[in-house]
Amino acid sequence: MKIYDAAFCIAVFFILGALAASLKLGFFVVIAAVALAAALFLFTGYFKKSPTFFWLAGLCFFIIIGAFYYLIWGNRQIKNINIVFDKKINFTGIVVKNPERGSQQKLVVESQPPYSGKILAKIQPYPAFDYGDMISFEGTIKRAEPESYANYLAKDGIFGITSYPKIELVAKNRGSNFRAALFKFKEKIILGFQKTLAPEKAAFLSGITMGERAEFSKEFKEAMARSGTTHLVALSGYNISVIVMAMFVFLGYFLGRRYTFILTIAVILGFVLMTGAEASVVRAAIMGFIALLATQVGRLYSVRNAIILAAFFMALINPMVLRFDAGFQLSFVALIGIVYLSPAIKKFFRVPEERDILSFKENFFTTLSAQLAVLPILISNFGAASPVSLLTNILILSVIPLTMSLGFILAGLGFISDYLALIFGWFVGLFLSYETFIIKFFGKLSVFQIDSLNVVFIVLYYFVLIVFIWASKRGTTIIKQRQ
Amino acid sequence: MKNRNWVILLVLFLIIFDGFVWSEILFRGPNKNTEIYFLDVGQGDSALIILPGNTKILIDGGPNNKIINELTAILRPTDRYIDLMILSHSQTDHFSGLIDVLKRYRVGGFIFNGRRGNAGSWLELTKILREKGVPILILASKDKIRHLDNQFNFLWPEKDFIQSRELNETALVPLLQSQGVKVLFTGDIDTKIEKYLLKKHGLGLDVDILKVAHHGSKYSSGENFLQAVSPKVAVIPVGKNSYGHPTKEVLSRLALVGAQIFRTDKDGTVKLIINSQEINIFKKK
Repeated sequence: MKIYDAAFCIAVFFILGALAASLKLGFFVVIAAVALAAALFLFTGYFKKSPTFFWLAGLCFFIIIGAFYYLIWGNRQIKNINIVFDKKINFTGIVVKNPERGSQQKLVVESQPPYSGKILAKIQPYPAFDYGDMISFEGTIKRAEPESYANYLAKDGIFGITSYPKIELVAKNRGSNFRAALFKFKEKIILGFQKTLAPEKAAFLSGITMGERAEFSKEFKEAMARSGTTHLVALSGYNISVIVMAMFVFLGYFLGRRYTFILTIAVILGFVLMTGAEASVVRAAIMGFIALLATQVGRLYSVRNAIILAAFFMALINPMVLRFDAGFQLSFVALIGIVYLSPAIKKFFRVPEERDILSFKENFFTTLSAQLAVLPILISNFGAASPVSLLTNILILSVIPLTMSLGFILAGLGFISDYLALIFGWFVGLFLSYETFIIKFFGKLSVFQIDSLNVVFIVLYYFVLIVFIWASKRGTTIIKQRQ
Repeated sequence: MKNRNWVILLVLFLIIFDGFVWSEILFRGPNKNTEIYFLDVGQGDSALIILPGNTKILIDGGPNNKIINELTAILRPTDRYIDLMILSHSQTDHFSGLIDVLKRYRVGGFIFNGRRGNAGSWLELTKILREKGVPILILASKDKIRHLDNQFNFLWPEKDFIQSRELNETALVPLLQSQGVKVLFTGDIDTKIEKYLLKKHGLGLDVDILKVAHHGSKYSSGENFLQAVSPKVAVIPVGKNSYGHPTKEVLSRLALVGAQIFRTDKDGTVKLIINSQEINIFKKK
């Protein structure tokens, strides 16, 4: 067994183990499964006389290590938390994330000694607080409910929620100055959008360019959930992967390969910086970068390893993302879809390789394969979605990269002159009108609504996809052999 | 080849933009009627008045940024100017939304009763007013604003009440006269203030349209007051709340004086178009 194959297997087994632990499968179930898998590998190895399978049997041990890692990591996190629940207390905390502002403010605060741990505070929209503010609270901290929401928060280390406590500002600028400046910059841009565009469009543009979700109206949020487009504004990494790929193809039409690569990297960096380099966005950017690398390098084996290693390191840093970070799952699976499914589909439809206007075909198949790959995850994570979401996403995603680029230009103009931005904003508004129209239109169609998915169906769905890819690959080898 | 594509895109953009500008010029003349919108901003107050000639006056802004959605649904996307902003009194369910408006719109002037709020958000409001350099005017009873044939008469607050312990008693109460129709905006005043107003203005209070005081609280909109006001149309700005607003007492008192009742929680934003002959009422929901 080659060393990179071994590394690949270790990473996969480790991730499987951590995933199993996060599903609360029970330790003995995991051990039993590992023993069974190892036995199977040994058995096959014995009959086929292939040492590879003996290796695999040995590496199965890493499943157990993965599961252990998950449990230990979780325990250590909980141990560091000291929060008094369900009792009225006074405590101080420092705002560690850029506050989410909408009809209410949501602050993530790191509580200060004698307490410790992060808390989500929901407060009145004004007075507005900033990243780095030290605030004294008087109120009751509650545990998050239901469990899925609690897990979602726990992934970012948040364990309690306090609603409308009594608050007072103690001090400002207790965070990193660099991040504070980045957040200010981001807010300025969003304000620029709000000044020039209707709120819905401004919110959507802020969403796709900066992952800002606070300003959406309830109706629009629902429409997005129902049309399966929420992920667009979640800056989940999935959209970054797709956007980056599409941008790459699109820019590649105007520019040389190297400049395209550099420019796209610059955009990813811009993303990370503007969103204040929050963990979720960094994850997304890494995934996006790997997607880009995949097309650059074009070697399937390296791509396979790059994807799995990125996932492995992210799981090391925070194993909870495997199960509770939809963004992580989406970007991961979408990437696999783009890399493996897209060539298979293109072959199936016998798509010729030559380029067409604005690389529309390439875009289309990239989006289609990513969408097909993530469909079950989209449906089970972002609430009810209908199968038309496939169509919605393809219709929208093909113009998103252009809209984003125009959005960045608009942001730049906003710093120069409000009037200039207003005129250009009208132009960007045309695209945004189209996108919001599609979202609302398909959000209204409630035919074939799927609320939740059966596990069996999900497994079956992916099985079919894998068989499809496999069959397509086999096709290649047969043709090659004939030649 | 590459250059030509850009040129085509640019020309296309200019042609579409030109069409847009001309359509704005040709088809969107200034309004001839007076339009009044009672905005659905949840539990709070907010009303937009558009006088003939597109002069916009915003009275209160509701408790949060919900007002922005309502405003942009009414105003043209390029119209980011509000002539006058009037705050009835310094409570958050009346002024918080104004902060969001000030962030996104240019505002010609800010009018309030001179009484500062004690909520932390009040500082936020004064800060943004200062930053944007909006002229601030303090008005009280007997003050008037005139624009062409339209007039605002301020009936309240009297001098002695500006420092009242109860912020609701300090509210500005403008009476709008436009195209022969009278509209009374009552802020959050209670029956005590209503009695003062009755004593002073008597039948002068008779109006066509009433913004019902304090979201339909039973301590406002007293029987005698409503009889004097005798509105044809009564609009209650109200949202989801734990106070029981609008109270059934007020609803029945309004019904008793024969007013047609609209409420923003059930009807959404209520739009009234007024010309010298008639009042047309539209509701969103």
